Amino acid sequence: MTSEARGSLGRILLIIGRLALAGIFLFAAYAKLKPQAAMGWSGTSIKVSLSMFAMQVDSYQLLPPQLVSPAAHFLPLFELFLGLWLLSGILLRYAALTTTLLLGAFFAMMVRTYRMGLEINCGCFGPGERLGVGTLLRDGSLLAFAIAVTIGAFVIRRRMQRNKAEPATASSAVSSSPQHAG
Amino acid sequence: MNSLTLSKLVAAKNWRMGALLIVFAGAALNAPAAFSQTTPTATKTSAKPAKKAASATDPAASATPVKTFGNKTAPITMEVFSDYQCPSCGSFFEQTLKPLLGPDGYVAAGKVYLVHRDFPLPMHAYSHQAARWANAAAKIGKFQDIDAALFDNQAGWSADGNIEKYVAAALSPTEFKRVQKLMVGCEPTSTTCPLDAYIVSDQELGKSVPVQATPTFVIFYKGQKYPASSGIVTYPILKQFFDSLLSQ
Repeated sequence: MTSEARGSLGRILLIIGRLALAGIFLFAAYAKLKPQAAMGWSGTSIKVSLSMFAMQVDSYQLLPPQLVSPAAHFLPLFELFLGLWLLSGILLRYAALTTTLLLGAFFAMMVRTYRMGLEINCGCFGPGERLGVGTLLRDGSLLAFAIAVTIGAFVIRRRMQRNKAEPATASSAVSSSPQHAG
Repeated sequence: MNSLTLSKLVAAKNWRMGALLIVFAGAALNAPAAFSQTTPTATKTSAKPAKKAASATDPAASATPVKTFGNKTAPITMEVFSDYQCPSCGSFFEQTLKPLLGPDGYVAAGKVYLVHRDFPLPMHAYSHQAARWANAAAKIGKFQDIDAALFDNQAGWSADGNIEKYVAAALSPTEFKRVQKLMVGCEPTSTTCPLDAYIVSDQELGKSVPVQATPTFVIFYKGQKYPASSGIVTYPILKQFFDSLLSQ
């Protein structure tokens, strides 16, 4: 495989990776914001859903009560923002890095809770899912995937910059050579 | 040509960046609302409805154990599946249910109707026996006292299985004698205890939730069942959820 073909394959994989991560984050935000009982979407239903998510955040016993609610209100909206950011592809390496850091924090929190023996709901994709080995494996795999996308984004960016720089150097070399000849 | 393509790209990126900034600004605008909700909203309520409810639900004459707190007509019903020997259930009772059941709590205010469900886990040696004592006390209308006594002294009886000592201390001698009578045939090794039917009935309900860990609680509001939550949730956060339901 030529380096050019490898490059385009890398770019395609990166697009697939970022779209998959975007989809996961958009779904996570949706699952936390959607009405939790048989009621339509409204400001009140979102408020109820966020209060329900606050109970899940609280059950991790990590944050003081005064920080639980701000965190529970911020996280789903940040996940929505991150999903849209990944979808847009703007400054992808930073979007992927932010995603990796967030997933890393989630994963560390889950491992700590599991080791403490707390039997709680994960809260990862809305209520009702128990934190256990399955959720740890899933979130661990997601973290590994995000790391791969981040590395890919940085590598491809560097390669693109190098490719841009090379023709410029070549052209400057070409334009300077007659002078030397002269 | 190149500069034209670049300007187009920049324009497109600016448009997408603008959209992202709008979303993030929305999230930031929501933050003050989140902070304001951390302050528990003071609700001027009277303790009268719960007192009325307590007298109305006097189960002395009832054959079935009454393991509820507050007014049945309260807008919110909270069903708690609990194991008397589980440390998290003990913490949940002390940190969350006590303030909820206290004079300034939402049960006393007539906003919440609390239902206790027994879900003794096989890993705890004495939790089933503790549930039997609680059900016997519930039959004579003394559930609230024994429920509190069992959780308050969880460490004590969990060590040696002497539940009777704490039940006796929480009741008057006459009441204790009545409870003891109901416990006839309910020795720890007995498999024919008549009180087990109530525990099994609660466990069956729990399986339909499904309860995977204790404590697990289910909240009902206006006929709507909300997804079950597990683990310890502090009272301010639980109260905030109740407030969000009541503000609908």
